[in-house]
Amino acid sequence: MYKIVRNVHLLLASFSLPFLIMYGLSAVQMSHSTWFQLKPAVDERQISLTAGQSDGRAVARAIMDRDQTVKGEITNVQPNDAGIALRIVVPGTVHDVRYERASGLATVKTSVAGTMGMLNRLHHWAGFWHEPVSMKMWAVAVAVVSAALLLLGASGIYMWFTRRPERRIGLALLAINVVFAVTLLTLLRTSGP
Amino acid sequence: MRNLVLKLHIYAGLLTFAQLMLYGVAGLVASAQTAAERPKIPRTIRHIPFTVTASATDQQVADDVYRALRLPLTRPMPGWFLRRTPEHDLLLDFYNINGIWRVVVLERESRLRIEEIRNSLGLFLGDVHAITLSDREAPRLVRVWAYYNEFAMWCLLAFCCSGVYLWLTAQARSWWAWASLATATVSFAALWMAFR
Repeated sequence: MYKIVRNVHLLLASFSLPFLIMYGLSAVQMSHSTWFQLKPAVDERQISLTAGQSDGRAVARAIMDRDQTVKGEITNVQPNDAGIALRIVVPGTVHDVRYERASGLATVKTSVAGTMGMLNRLHHWAGFWHEPVSMKMWAVAVAVVSAALLLLGASGIYMWFTRRPERRIGLALLAINVVFAVTLLTLLRTSGP
Repeated sequence: MRNLVLKLHIYAGLLTFAQLMLYGVAGLVASAQTAAERPKIPRTIRHIPFTVTASATDQQVADDVYRALRLPLTRPMPGWFLRRTPEHDLLLDFYNINGIWRVVVLERESRLRIEEIRNSLGLFLGDVHAITLSDREAPRLVRVWAYYNEFAMWCLLAFCCSGVYLWLTAQARSWWAWASLATATVSFAALWMAFR
């Protein structure tokens, strides 16, 4: 039994490793933002589209057809008097689009995050509701790694418990952690609303 | 050396067990979400008397409301966060880790309308996993959790290093673990490039 659990622990850990490093490093960045420079590279250009369009998704699709480097999920569609403002987003890259209905001119301002900025965005990216296939695949990876983390904990607990020399001190450490966490979580949760 | 690393791996794992489980749950909760927007349906709505000082600015009114209500684990409302309802009443969203106290200052009626919007347990756990030390003005209870989260975060990175060391120094170096690592690394790199 021990050998099976150890192999499962190793299999899950080896699969999760790149993702856990990404989560760990980006957590350090979020906790100590002053240690890192997150200024994105910004570029602005104009694209000519058909004038008079009033549908945000049609504008976004037209831009993506004209410029292959623009890709992603359409968000923040906001019609205004002059035209439409919207965003096309993938983790780490944001295309801010301002479309002028009268001229048909779309101004695309692209912000590309650096490595740490990209890690930060990937840390926050999850959920199967995103439309692009790449984002759905990322969501699968996040769900698998999250489940793996739970199983890593469970298998780790089993393996520790089978080691007699570490049982007593381990029990004390586990008790400290669980009592502390449950107490603090309860206090936080019961603080309302 | 290996024995020492193994001991540290085990002890640090036990000392951060709850946090690591929380990270896993937070990931599953985020995966199960169906939209970026969170539901903001009030659980309860109540009214309490409150008189606005005639000469007060919006910021002063917000500060008066904050002092009068003393809502737990909230903080004074910053000026840039002040908003108005479509009826032009002052709208104050006091956030805490469990949700929002949405307070509308009904000046003409000399009372406050207080809506309690409570996050689900899943969203609460998701928010708790994201508490960091970067928020230096957070309430003390939240800061205490942030310190433990910080410890768990460094431990997570340390587990990655110690885990690889333990694997590489083990007698049986299973090929399938290499295959698993290669699959994950290639998948990660492919998705990274797909997003760039």
